[in-house]
Amino acid sequence: MALYYGSWLILFSPLFSFAVIVFGTRVWDLLSRPVKATAAQREEAHEESDIHYIKKEGPRGEEEVLEDDEDPKVPYLTMGAKASGYVAIVIVGLACIYSWILLLNTAGVISIAPPLPASGVTIFSYNWFVQPGGLVSYVITFRIDTLAIAMMTVVTTVSLLVYFYSQGYMENSAGYARFFAYLSLFTFSMLDIVFAANFLVIFIGWELVGLSSYLLIGFWINKAAKPAEDRPSPASAAIEAFIANRVGDVGFIIGIMILFANTGTFDFATLAGSGPHSVTHAFAGNLGLLTLAMILVFCGAIGKSAQVPLHVWLPSAMEGPTPVSALIHAATMVAAGVYMVARTYPLFLAAGPQALGVVAWVGAITAIFAATIALTQYDLKRILAFSTISQLGYMFVGLGVAGAEYGPGPGMFHLFTHAFFKALLFLGAGSVLHAMHHALHRETQDMRYMGGLAKFMPVTAITFLVATLAISGFPFFSGFFSKDTIIGLTFDRGDYALYIITLLTAGLTAFYMLRAYILTFGGKGGEFGGLWGGPYRGAAGVPGVPWGRLENDQGVAHEGTPHESPLTMTIPLVLLAIASIVAGYWFGFFSYVYPPAPVLNFGAILTDWKTWVGVLVSFIGLGWAYYLYCVVGWVAVGNVVYNNPLLNFLHRVTLHKYYVSEFYALLIRYGVLGLSHVEAAFDTYVVDGIVNGVAALVRGAGRDLRHVETGRVQAYMIGFFGGVAVLAILVFVLVTFVQ
Amino acid sequence: MGLTLYHFVALGAVLFCIGLYGAISKKNAVAVLMGIEIMLNAVNITLVGFSFFNTVKPYSTFLTGQIFAIFIITVAAAEAAVALAMIISIYRKRSTVDVGEIDMMRW
Repeated sequence: MALYYGSWLILFSPLFSFAVIVFGTRVWDLLSRPVKATAAQREEAHEESDIHYIKKEGPRGEEEVLEDDEDPKVPYLTMGAKASGYVAIVIVGLACIYSWILLLNTAGVISIAPPLPASGVTIFSYNWFVQPGGLVSYVITFRIDTLAIAMMTVVTTVSLLVYFYSQGYMENSAGYARFFAYLSLFTFSMLDIVFAANFLVIFIGWELVGLSSYLLIGFWINKAAKPAEDRPSPASAAIEAFIANRVGDVGFIIGIMILFANTGTFDFATLAGSGPHSVTHAFAGNLGLLTLAMILVFCGAIGKSAQVPLHVWLPSAMEGPTPVSALIHAATMVAAGVYMVARTYPLFLAAGPQALGVVAWVGAITAIFAATIALTQYDLKRILAFSTISQLGYMFVGLGVAGAEYGPGPGMFHLFTHAFFKALLFLGAGSVLHAMHHALHRETQDMRYMGGLAKFMPVTAITFLVATLAISGFPFFSGFFSKDTIIGLTFDRGDYALYIITLLTAGLTAFYMLRAYILTFGGKGGEFGGLWGGPYRGAAGVPGVPWGRLENDQGVAHEGTPHESPLTMTIPLVLLAIASIVAGYWFGFFSYVYPPAPVLNFGAILTDWKTWVGVLVSFIGLGWAYYLYCVVGWVAVGNVVYNNPLLNFLHRVTLHKYYVSEFYALLIRYGVLGLSHVEAAFDTYVVDGIVNGVAALVRGAGRDLRHVETGRVQAYMIGFFGGVAVLAILVFVLVTFVQ
Repeated sequence: MGLTLYHFVALGAVLFCIGLYGAISKKNAVAVLMGIEIMLNAVNITLVGFSFFNTVKPYSTFLTGQIFAIFIITVAAAEAAVALAMIISIYRKRSTVDVGEIDMMRW
């Protein structure tokens, strides 16, 4: 049992590394930096390490730094900065090993500790404060069970690989130490959610995740918005993420308060049990209120997991550094919503089918909505963002339809497999962006400037292809098992509408992912029928078509060839590629996280017709993408779409993400700002009116009453003795008549 | 019918009202001062009367009221001296002793 009780080390290790970096190595880094690098030193450093101080002649002949709005660069990393990275990596690596030991032990692979009780082990409990009267106490409790162990393994593993990768991706960044501090804080926040045993703790972690994602999305604080690419500045993207999450959190906290007010406890196990504080007891005969509470709790998950209608922040969050995107999408942010619903699953079950129906339908609508947007995007990272939104929709469908038989198993299984291949996709995209940055000396995510990259960066290409196949549900990759289980489950539950939607989304997913792969790494004319290599477009974009380049593209001063990324970046890619294949073969996952659930049967999967319908649909998607972009070619396809009014209209609508962000902008401009004008008028005329009116009254009274002060002694005397006389008469009258 | 407390009090009240009338209605500052002196002495008569008729028990026994009257006469002398000095000073500065015109302290 000591193995379990020691798991608080996993929880607090990222916080420890955060503290070490902030108070130790980062200070060291800042103190040991050269005071200011001279232009000559920078020039020298440029030749040595290929850093991006590109000089060009400005309009008046002066020297200009091309990328002046980007992350400040340093010529070399100090020992302090490097130590920050090493501290974070080593500590999260140890936490990762510990998590794997816990996972293997509880899964029965190794046995160095007795089996974990089904109800979990409470590893830490602290009575924060007790309400006067002792009726209600607020307790900080951390508990681990199999669900938490599965999740913490994902979190620490993905974090470790992302940290390792960041060493290469963030090379020469002046904020290197700060970046690792934020990453550590992010991991800690997520682990706090994973270890939470009650709503109080999960809400603390929830808000910490919001904070650290805000810090990381807005990491490149100097970068400006790019209106031509429809990209906001990182600072405003960070604010958007924070605010969209707050909108969901309003529902979350109201839901928690409804539960707490009726049961008097935050604790998940107590709420889900059968005692006097359980939801079944407190909400007996009033299940509607419980359903409402759980839907409100789910609102928090809608915000955090970027479901419709609060999905707008996730594509904007692409403005953060790519390792951060990987972390957000795979393990530490959007997974929090899914995990929270899985953690509170008994409460959803108690609330009845309506609450879970809402979960499933929000997920399904999000899945197809995001998938259709991803079809037409040019921005590589944005495609991945919408694919994440879509896959999260799958997870919620899985949670919504599973019911008491499967519990949170299918949704969590997809989360588990998705974490690996989505982290791989993002790190691969980061590798591509890194290479493009070196080649063009410009920060671009636009696939119109890529193409044929497989021949330059084979490791990235092959791993990206593995992830593409995994997310598409290609047979025997991990996505095949987790996604087809969810799709099949919707059919088994008799939700044929959900079945059609999820099946259609699977086809769309396969299409847009292979499209992204081909447009980035392949192209018509490459090897293997266009899947490998092909023309590299570079700064020219897609030549000869009106849509082939960004509007107002100024061109670049430098045109080079992309290169494969350093080993620090490719090693995580390879490891994640392996995980993306093998993660699906854990057939006992359902019963691991939810003991009553059945074990997946490999033979049954292979003989089930629904599996092969799913495979067929994803093959249609893959084949159609191959046909359009490898056989027909992008230029021809684009011209057809561009010249057909209907297709052009559809293309424009999905390219602009159904104008949801624009709609919100209008809503805010005319709704929120209009309301604020009303409030400003109220403030000016009513609130200020009262204040100014009182002041004017006092001033006027003073102005008029001062004439009483005549300065003549006799007038005062009349007043004084007159007053005495009045008092005397008053006393006389009172004494005489009142008695 | 001998002399009673009511005679003292009535004389004091009449004198006080005469003094008050003088102090309020006269324009000449010296006349105002005289009115004030009359008011002071009206009070003295009242004090002596109360003391003589032993009205206020513990204090009357020790002649407090009569001593108080002597005290007031002394203070009134000093006050009259100060007041006359002020009147002379004001007269030197403004060439008038009309209290209606002495209003430097007005708003």
